[in-house]
Amino acid sequence: MKHIAFTIVALFFLSISANAQEDRWEKWGPTTGLKGGGFIARIGYVLGGTTPIPLPAEVRKVNGFSPRGGISLGIDGYKMFSKRWGISSGAHFFWEGFHTNADVKNYYVWLEQEGEVTKGYFTGTNVTNTEMWGVTLPLLATFRMSPKWNVSVGPYLSIYFHQTFSGEVYDNDQGIGYLREDTPVGAKILMTRENPTPYPDDFPDRMQPVALGIEFAFDWKAMKHMNVFGLLDWGMTDIWDRNFEAITFKMYPIYATMGVAYRY
Amino acid sequence: MALVAVPLLMLSCIKAEQANTECDIEAVSLHLETPTDIFYHEYDTLQTVISTVNDIVFVIRSYAHVQSVPVTFRVTSGASIYMKNDDGGEVPFRNGSSIDLSDERVLHFRIVSQDKAWSRDYSLSVVHDAPGEGDLSFGFEDYHLDASGKYYIWDAPSIFPDGEWKNGNPGFKISRSSAKPLEYPSTPVSGGGPDGSDCVKLETCDTGPFGRMVKMRIASGSMFNGVFDVSNAITDALKATQFGSPFTHKPVQMTVWLRYERGDDYWNKEGQSLTGVWDEPDAYVVLYRNEDADGGRIQLDGNDVLSSPNIVALGRLPHHYNEDGTDKLSDAPIHGVTNEWQEFTIPVEYRAEIDAEVLANNGYNLIIGFASSWQGAYFMGAIGSKLYIDNIQLICE
Repeated sequence: MKHIAFTIVALFFLSISANAQEDRWEKWGPTTGLKGGGFIARIGYVLGGTTPIPLPAEVRKVNGFSPRGGISLGIDGYKMFSKRWGISSGAHFFWEGFHTNADVKNYYVWLEQEGEVTKGYFTGTNVTNTEMWGVTLPLLATFRMSPKWNVSVGPYLSIYFHQTFSGEVYDNDQGIGYLREDTPVGAKILMTRENPTPYPDDFPDRMQPVALGIEFAFDWKAMKHMNVFGLLDWGMTDIWDRNFEAITFKMYPIYATMGVAYRY
Repeated sequence: MALVAVPLLMLSCIKAEQANTECDIEAVSLHLETPTDIFYHEYDTLQTVISTVNDIVFVIRSYAHVQSVPVTFRVTSGASIYMKNDDGGEVPFRNGSSIDLSDERVLHFRIVSQDKAWSRDYSLSVVHDAPGEGDLSFGFEDYHLDASGKYYIWDAPSIFPDGEWKNGNPGFKISRSSAKPLEYPSTPVSGGGPDGSDCVKLETCDTGPFGRMVKMRIASGSMFNGVFDVSNAITDALKATQFGSPFTHKPVQMTVWLRYERGDDYWNKEGQSLTGVWDEPDAYVVLYRNEDADGGRIQLDGNDVLSSPNIVALGRLPHHYNEDGTDKLSDAPIHGVTNEWQEFTIPVEYRAEIDAEVLANNGYNLIIGFASSWQGAYFMGAIGSKLYIDNIQLICE
């Protein structure tokens, strides 16, 4: 993924016109000269997922993926310190999420409900749905590559107001779906799509209320007051409580936003 | 670009598949020229092995003999089969090889998973059918904890072919891992019988949070002969209870001592209280034809244990029925079982002629079944309903 981000940056460098005119820098610059500041109000479409990185070997096949929600509204303030360098910060309110359907093999599950524990190794199809409402607060360093192109990178903090995490398990397309109780030689308990087994409903309670990550962003000044922008929020913290045993691997939120912005 | 990157990332990074960790014998078949010379049914030569079974037993005619028989195992994909020697060593077993199964000798096998990290030990034997005298009596005196130490098992040697009573305890274990052995739906009561001997208690229990998750909120206490296949406990609970085992006599009546304490709050499947409905116990004897016209196995389960057209004889505690024959819930049960021990006589009524030849050749299965909630198979009943059972006698012609 980082490769992709670096590739984007490299492409932008190549796009810099060698004989860019100073007045073009002025024209597409902040509202007052080259060093001023201003505001950018953003609206965007959010797409992404919350995923273990790398995917564990237990995941055999991703059958389906579709976004849920996908709206971001944000406002950033920015300040340029020189012709090329500046900073920005703001608040992006989001509603994001996804649905995924994956085939898994020997996927360890450990479910606890009111003191009862069911655990073992599941093979079959696993469906996950998650949605998150919250706000992301980025603090970015901005590099102005050309009069019309800005790229930014920096840390962010996301605060979640509400999270859902639900799903179910059942048999895969070959009709294989079962839990081996406790160990791979334990009782084999079949699961079918006619009677799927849902995740316990306390999963959202076990999610972290905040996340930290790195934001990569670009802005292209399409018109005097309008930007086209894209940004990628790459979560660096596990979405689950540290002592949550139901999911044995860490999962990270990785969401991209594409949209338009009003620049002042 | 970033927009498509995340799903692409997820799709593109599937790792190499890991080797299988399981090591089950899923099925065993014995290859014989004329199977019915040795076995009662052609279908008896193939056994599917449920995941909780380690001792595989084939039952042959009392007078038949087997020598060296080709045996084929179906095992987990990638797993290896080893046969153990008398000296404790083991050699790879080639599927389809002939094995000497004479004189009821017990052979031992070890199945090793594809990843070599797991193995399971199995035994295989061919035993002679030992036809019973007919009349049966049992008092639930012989019981012990299962291998996991979680729940009780009742022995019934020389009564049922596999020597055990069955019940839903293994299913309850999945949903209520914290339950102690005496908190299961089927439990022994030491000295609790009418004569001061041990008896059995069936109690309708709350299955807890996991039961609610899969809409199986209660577990009726149960006791029956046959197979409890825990693999179906969640997907198709009615199929988990596979009733009956071969029987070569004509039952006439069952006498049994019963005592019942009714739970108050009757729940439907959704866990809603039904007013004007009392929980009822159940006790029944069923005889059914166990082979269809094509020689296939007929196995009654929770779907048709009391309604199958293959039933030839039935005796049951009295209940109310609707005009179409379905069970009728009411607040005025007629089963007659009270909080005081009483001896009940349940006559067995025949619906069809019994073919003596078929009967003698294990062509009928006998079921003896009990439940603390008669609609428990449909997850309806009252938590806390308790049926105490002791001193069963099955009288045959």
